[in-house]
Amino acid sequence: MTPFEIGTLSVIAIVVLVYLGVYIPIALGLVSFVSIILMRDNFDLAVNLLKIAIGDSVMEYTFATVPLFTFMGLIVSKAGLGADIYQVMNSGFKRVKGGIGMATVGANAVFAAVTGSSIASASVFSKVSVPQMLAFDYNPRFAVGVVAGSSVLGMIIPPSAMLIIYSFVAEQSVGDMFLAGVVPGLMLAGAYVVAIFLMGRLTPDYVGGRPAEETEWMSPLEIADKTLPTLILIVAVLGGIYTGWLTPVEAGATGALLGLIIAAIRKKLTLQSAWQALLETGHITASILFLITAASIYSRMLGLAGLPNELGTLLTETQMTFFWIMVIYVAMMIFLGTILDTASIILIVVPLFLPLVEPMGLSLVWFGIITVVGAEIGLLTPPLGISCFVIKATLNDPRISLKDVFVGAFPFALVMLVVLIALIRWPSLSLAILN
Amino acid sequence: TETIKAVVIDGYPARAMWVQEFTNFFIPEVDKRLAETGNYKMDWQESYGGSIVKPKGVLEGVKLGLGDIGIVTTIFHSSKLPSQALAAVTPFIAPDSRAVAKAVDEIAKEFPTMQKEFEAQNQVYLATGVVLDTYQVFSKDPIESLSALEGSKVAGAGMNLRYLEGIEGAAGVRGGLTDFYNMLQTGLVDNAMLWPEAAKTFKIAEVAPYMLKADLGAVNSKTITVNKDYWDGLPDEVKSVLQDVAVAYRDHVAGIAMDRAEASRAAYVESGGTVVEMDTAERAQWAQAMPNIAVEWAAGLDAKGEPGSDMLKAYMAKLSEAGFTPVRDWSAELTQ
Amino acid sequence: MLRLITSGVRALSSAANWVAIGANAIGTLIVLALVMVINYDVVARGFFNAPFRGAVEVVQFSMVLIVFLQLPDVVRTNRLTRSDGFLILLEASRPKLAATIRRVINTASAIFMALVAYAIWPEFLEMYETKDFFGVPGIFTAPWWPIKLAIYLSAVLCTLMFLLKVLVPDTKTGAAQPSEPSEDNA
Ligand code: NA
Ligand code: NA
Repeated sequence: MTPFEIGTLSVIAIVVLVYLGVYIPIALGLVSFVSIILMRDNFDLAVNLLKIAIGDSVMEYTFATVPLFTFMGLIVSKAGLGADIYQVMNSGFKRVKGGIGMATVGANAVFAAVTGSSIASASVFSKVSVPQMLAFDYNPRFAVGVVAGSSVLGMIIPPSAMLIIYSFVAEQSVGDMFLAGVVPGLMLAGAYVVAIFLMGRLTPDYVGGRPAEETEWMSPLEIADKTLPTLILIVAVLGGIYTGWLTPVEAGATGALLGLIIAAIRKKLTLQSAWQALLETGHITASILFLITAASIYSRMLGLAGLPNELGTLLTETQMTFFWIMVIYVAMMIFLGTILDTASIILIVVPLFLPLVEPMGLSLVWFGIITVVGAEIGLLTPPLGISCFVIKATLNDPRISLKDVFVGAFPFALVMLVVLIALIRWPSLSLAILN
Repeated sequence: TETIKAVVIDGYPARAMWVQEFTNFFIPEVDKRLAETGNYKMDWQESYGGSIVKPKGVLEGVKLGLGDIGIVTTIFHSSKLPSQALAAVTPFIAPDSRAVAKAVDEIAKEFPTMQKEFEAQNQVYLATGVVLDTYQVFSKDPIESLSALEGSKVAGAGMNLRYLEGIEGAAGVRGGLTDFYNMLQTGLVDNAMLWPEAAKTFKIAEVAPYMLKADLGAVNSKTITVNKDYWDGLPDEVKSVLQDVAVAYRDHVAGIAMDRAEASRAAYVESGGTVVEMDTAERAQWAQAMPNIAVEWAAGLDAKGEPGSDMLKAYMAKLSEAGFTPVRDWSAELTQ
Repeated sequence: MLRLITSGVRALSSAANWVAIGANAIGTLIVLALVMVINYDVVARGFFNAPFRGAVEVVQFSMVLIVFLQLPDVVRTNRLTRSDGFLILLEASRPKLAATIRRVINTASAIFMALVAYAIWPEFLEMYETKDFFGVPGIFTAPWWPIKLAIYLSAVLCTLMFLLKVLVPDTKTGAAQPSEPSEDNA
């Protein structure tokens, strides 16, 4: 079998196994193991690959960002920072048609800067913002759609577990990836706000809702009280990384400690809930890093098969254009996005495309932003759309079905696709902040 | 003509100088020499940049047969390859990649130790590469003397942090090369130890416009090795071609390193940097102040029954034959 | 006889579960330790000119411990990443077939984790005998063998966890949801 055949067959095998319900890391690991045996007829070599990949991938210093930012996100959620930001935003947007929706997007964008995951965003905002929208007679589908759509900001605006994972696969600096995520994240947030505005104008019935009659403005003191902790965290974490005072790992640790202190000061933290957050952090870290380890077995198997070299040759022979590579790439991510989580998509697709993208002289930082945004679309698409699942589970409201969440999220998935195309077309949107 | 497959691995990307030269020099040179008799032909598969192993994983990758030939970055493996630290523990001798590469490689071939260490990792030593000409001190503020380093924070990596141990109040801060620019810019550190080519690549002149030309010395960091089982299966003709070309590669890479160092120093000055020659007495003072890590190194090997002291003596002798006078004669303090 | 086996399996199962929960607790404490060590280094370096020279090694070391001490509990609580929408659908129409597929999947997973254990064991022995370390001598070093041992024990425990899932299938169907943190703030 040629490397190309092995590569293709292994991808198909993995997709089939994953569809059947095999644990994703196990599918990646087993398929890689069997591929090597088939390819080289050498059991020991397959064992050796496991040996080298298992310890190696976890030992990466920058991976400490995964538990640290996860923990920080969980602690600030418990401290109620997301809810506070939302209330501040809401007092400003209340009178606009779809205003609570816009406030949700804005609050998500700010909250995204202190949490590393979309899951945290989805669960926080389905609790604070959906009930309020329903109280103002918004269409339930619109309400959950806004929360689902804006939750993806959590993983595009830094800190972000997905940017970290990409930086590992593509060997880019985590700091660079974080900085590159800022503008695309804000752009997506802006695009959502515009989309909500247009929906309010063009399909007012779909949006629903009534403007608030009385507007009580928050006092400056109240606003400060609700925004200051978040601002401090953003300055410490992103400022620390941007200026170089802190490595991303150190910024994560600083953020986690500050989060703990803030939560303690606000008396939102019991020993038990801190322990819960730590436990949760450990579980998430272990499952993400085990997945990364398995994906690294898989990408090394492809390397051993010589697939990257083969793809490079294929590229020069077929003269495939940038346009078509991107079309295939985006299509593949959206397809895998139906059933896989974001991390798995990145880990499966990136090793296949890096050898195509790198020789074209394209920026790998830019490519990472494209990848993360593209893979995040899958959070909103059925049958497996994790953000939508989380919202459904958190709301636990019989009036809102999972289908409602997916239908509501669909317009936002389309907006993401449009933003993705813009990001592909104009790489400087992602890269300008780096230079 | 028999075709022999060879998988070459390095965790560094193809654009790294020594990897690039493996592609552009080593491989064509082997092909050319084999073509002279026409008995054998190599079928190369080059897998770089993490496609099979990470930079730290090359040693293990070659050991386990994931690659047939590898470029091992030896400074990562203080534990498995202690004798490779030879140049790192003997600063202030030769700011010349060619001389250091040749001397270390000869030590590797005249004494059994280095080859034994690689053999324990199931691989065969071919040659040593040196890709950095010499560490210098880059500083934010004008710097002339050793006293300027006292009480300051100095960025470094690995063994060179130990060079600071004799300087009053100087704290070594670990960092990756890519972090040095930011570390200097924010004042996290006042100085950084790196070599001119890296200084140019990372635009260090913008944040540390003063280079104290301390000439701490060139350090060996790359070794070409071949998996032992693969080697045993190779025909003698191919073996000897690989050995010869590895030596040619050693000199070729060291030569490029020196050319680039010269050009990089010029570029540093051009982009606003000032090079300050370190006073001879000051250099001597620095060397004197340091702990004798060379003797520590030799003693460590001696204790394992390896000729550590003899290697150190022979290495110093080779460099002085090549015309380099050590600022401090590390081997003179050997007790054995 | 059958009852004897069943109760044996049950005892083994509860013992293994307790070990997994214990390992998980230790891993959890290491997360906290990680936060503290890094902050110590940041402060010591920034304000007292005294960086902790082993920070990188300590972080690497803790990452391995966090991941591999927690992994068996991740398996135990059905939180290993998977996409089992198809299985849940199948359960409604062909419950027996779905149960069989779950068994096959858990068996395959046990085999994979056993392969990991098989691959790591000789590494542990070698590292233990050679006292191999990572880091830079004179700066900071840490031994490799505890890392290999942690991976080995974790893999063995995961194998056991998967096997127990084969022998004692979850009574609740569709127990596995994709991993979600349980948020309890409002
Ligand atoms: Na974020
Ligand atoms: Na999806």
